Amino acid sequence: MNTSFLKNSLPALALLGLAACQPELDAPTVDKGSADFSRYISIGNSLTAGFADNGLYLEGQQSSYPSILAQQFSAAGGGEFVQPLFPADKANGSGFVKLLSIDASGSPVTTTVPGNAGRNPGAADKAPYVRFDQPINNLGIPGIRMVDVQTAGYGSLAGNAYFERITPVANPLETYFQRVKREAATATFFTTWLGSNDVLGYATAGGASPTATVPSSTTDTSFIRKSARILNVLTANGAKGVVSTVPDVTGIPFFTTVGPRLKANLIAKNVPGMVLQTGFNPGGPTTANRKPIATTDIRDASGGRQLFTLGGSAAAGLIGTATGKPWRDVYKASGNPPAGFGAFLTTYGVDTTALFGVTAQNPFPSAYVLDDVEQATVATATNYINSTLRTQAAAKNLVLFDVNVFFAGVALNGYATNGVNNNTSYIRGNIFSLDGVHLTPRGNAVIANEMIKVINAKYGSTLQQVDPNTYRGILLP
Amino acid sequence: MKFKSLLLVGGALLTGTAASAGGYQVTLAGQKNNGMGGVGVGLSLDQAAMFYNPGALAMVKERGVQLGVNGTIARQAFRAENGSTQRELQNTTTTPFNLYAGFGPTEGKFRAGIAVYTPFGNKLQYADGWEGRFALTQIDLKAIYVQPTFSYAVTENLSVGAGLMVLALGSVNLQRDVPSQDSEGKFGSIELDGKAKNKLGFNAGVFFKPSEKLSLGISYRSKIDAQVEDGDVTFTGLSNTAAASFQATKFNATLPLPATTSIGIGIMPNEKLTIGLDVNFVEWSAYRTLRFDFDKPISDSKTGLPTTFSESKRNYDDALTFRIGGQYQVTSGLTVRAGGTYDNSPVKDGFLTPETPDADRITGTLGASYKFGEKFSVDLSTQFVNLKKRTITQQDLLNNGTTDRVAGTYKTQVVVPGIGLNYTF
Repeated sequence: MNTSFLKNSLPALALLGLAACQPELDAPTVDKGSADFSRYISIGNSLTAGFADNGLYLEGQQSSYPSILAQQFSAAGGGEFVQPLFPADKANGSGFVKLLSIDASGSPVTTTVPGNAGRNPGAADKAPYVRFDQPINNLGIPGIRMVDVQTAGYGSLAGNAYFERITPVANPLETYFQRVKREAATATFFTTWLGSNDVLGYATAGGASPTATVPSSTTDTSFIRKSARILNVLTANGAKGVVSTVPDVTGIPFFTTVGPRLKANLIAKNVPGMVLQTGFNPGGPTTANRKPIATTDIRDASGGRQLFTLGGSAAAGLIGTATGKPWRDVYKASGNPPAGFGAFLTTYGVDTTALFGVTAQNPFPSAYVLDDVEQATVATATNYINSTLRTQAAAKNLVLFDVNVFFAGVALNGYATNGVNNNTSYIRGNIFSLDGVHLTPRGNAVIANEMIKVINAKYGSTLQQVDPNTYRGILLP
Repeated sequence: MKFKSLLLVGGALLTGTAASAGGYQVTLAGQKNNGMGGVGVGLSLDQAAMFYNPGALAMVKERGVQLGVNGTIARQAFRAENGSTQRELQNTTTTPFNLYAGFGPTEGKFRAGIAVYTPFGNKLQYADGWEGRFALTQIDLKAIYVQPTFSYAVTENLSVGAGLMVLALGSVNLQRDVPSQDSEGKFGSIELDGKAKNKLGFNAGVFFKPSEKLSLGISYRSKIDAQVEDGDVTFTGLSNTAAASFQATKFNATLPLPATTSIGIGIMPNEKLTIGLDVNFVEWSAYRTLRFDFDKPISDSKTGLPTTFSESKRNYDDALTFRIGGQYQVTSGLTVRAGGTYDNSPVKDGFLTPETPDADRITGTLGASYKFGEKFSVDLSTQFVNLKKRTITQQDLLNNGTTDRVAGTYKTQVVVPGIGLNYTF
């Protein structure tokens, strides 16, 4: 009996050992709540289109936040989501910037991958972008401002080349508003994120463009009216949706990358200050468009106010030398004929034999600086745009995604996703793409997750977030 | 040396899956005890008293050699807060074992012995591409103690004992992915591999048996800081551009192997039945942070700036374990056992890490022994360990400044079959 017990119990115990069965955790249930995601459309600008690395190209389009949202909506009754993608054989789209390496000083070395979908400046192929004529769910148009939405002919060569490619050939004067109205007729859910470009154009031009103006509470009638019309037409059939505010653009890497490095260099070389050009008014060394600043006034983590743009990176390296190169670059970017360069220098009283950036005769160009006065203009406009959007979203009982508050938090604390810390710094922050303004695929995933949070909170849905780490940040070759 | 080669063999086998106690503690030190919910401080069952209560060793009648081996079979399910699939461990079965040899005069008042056991250990290998890959992809932590022990019976009812604990073999291997992507979008990874320095501690206990029906014990095992110096750092899969930010080749780190105080009661209502009750108090609060110091800069995971150390919060709490178990002698040859354990997790909410995805645990145990003649016997035991389902949210991580790990829900079950061979002389 005793040995048979052992014979029986040994296999029995072995079986018990194998019985370490795999635990199961129930998959979370995904419910649409009181929302209806069956036809979702997205309204917006470059950020919505998936523009990244200073271009619109297939990879960016495929990882746009609306496409990520649509993918998560599909588990809660969401339907097909059509984006005006560039075809695979024209995947480079408008062309884009690519990182090659980071040099010994820590500066990125980049190259431009030329576009292959048309409208290629400088190349023989200046034909319109490859057309997209089907109904579209993602109506993100790079470059569009709120004030452009009712401009007839915006979808033409004179208007916006990205809108041109989706504007019907039979109705070339169709406005963005009219297109939204057509698509909204069958939409059940929407996100809208317009308004950034109404202030961004002024800011990225360093406040130096006479044509880039910003809306404000005292002068605006256009922004508030057009924004209301867009929301009216989106909600006309009872669709629910998300209204996004615009971020404080002075917190993006485009403005926060060059200044700190420049400041450190000037301090190391005992340069006490600089002379900037400000605004866009003509005038020479003794006029109000010259602005002397102390080196300590350049903004970095320790303080200071003046912001330098990413575009001014090369010019910042030439400070203290007798050079006219930065002015040639500024003039070239204006698109005016080369013959006018001499007159341009005369208009602004620039002497390129004087030391660049530290003398009133050869100041640091306004186009590369967003100074404290210009920042105040940007802040006023941003506040006005956002209070308008908040008021209008509340009046329609829509979800508000306060991008401005969100990015202010990210700038302060970074944004952790599954053990990875992303932040708003250039390249190593992984949220902003190489242009310092638009988002990486991971940045888009982060935005999609944040939108999912506010949608769930408002409509009682249980949409799942994505793992942002499965979307790329900046690739380091 | 024969003993040293035995240790090396042991090193290859000996790891736990943090199977039978909270944190990375492993209390599978005696096969009879394993069948009885891990009680033993208030009992004098066999040579394993050297681990449970050196004071009880002098009251163990037999002298002899015993060897026990366990297989920890862990199964886990994980769902990330923002992931879509259930992740499961790449299954690893580990085999902690214990070895005791006890000597002493037949009628003398003392016993001496040597014990080899694994009080700590941890081995986990997560699924490829799981959401927590930037916190951990795999860990293998080993600690082997060798303990010469001496026990003396002061009176017929009271004995004391102590052992010199030697951290004879300790090692850590920790791997995780680095969130830096090459031109193909592939992530790099880092491997930290090091051996702990040999260190000393002690184990002491008092055993009191006022009657045939009752015994009491108290024991203490001191803390040993497992200290790795000049461990190897290996980065793989980093692109040229990324590699410039990760230059370290060596690391130093210290991991506390905490002190444990235990009290136990033995109740023997008759000659055939023995019941034990133990409470263990483990001073896990010694584990505040996991810090690695590097010889050359790496990229700070939070800021991306160069740094020469990384630090991760643990903030463990002291923890209690309650154990109950009994054995019944069915025939002269056969003894059967059963028991249970309730184990309080030292890991606070908001501090859960993939390397120790701990939770309060309830364990049920079964065991049996059979004697083949006077000198030889075999012990069998099985433990069924059930860790409560535990969720950590991203908000918990943000609130505690512990965003270096992953938010999600873990559920773990472990089965630990074991076998022991005893030879008495």
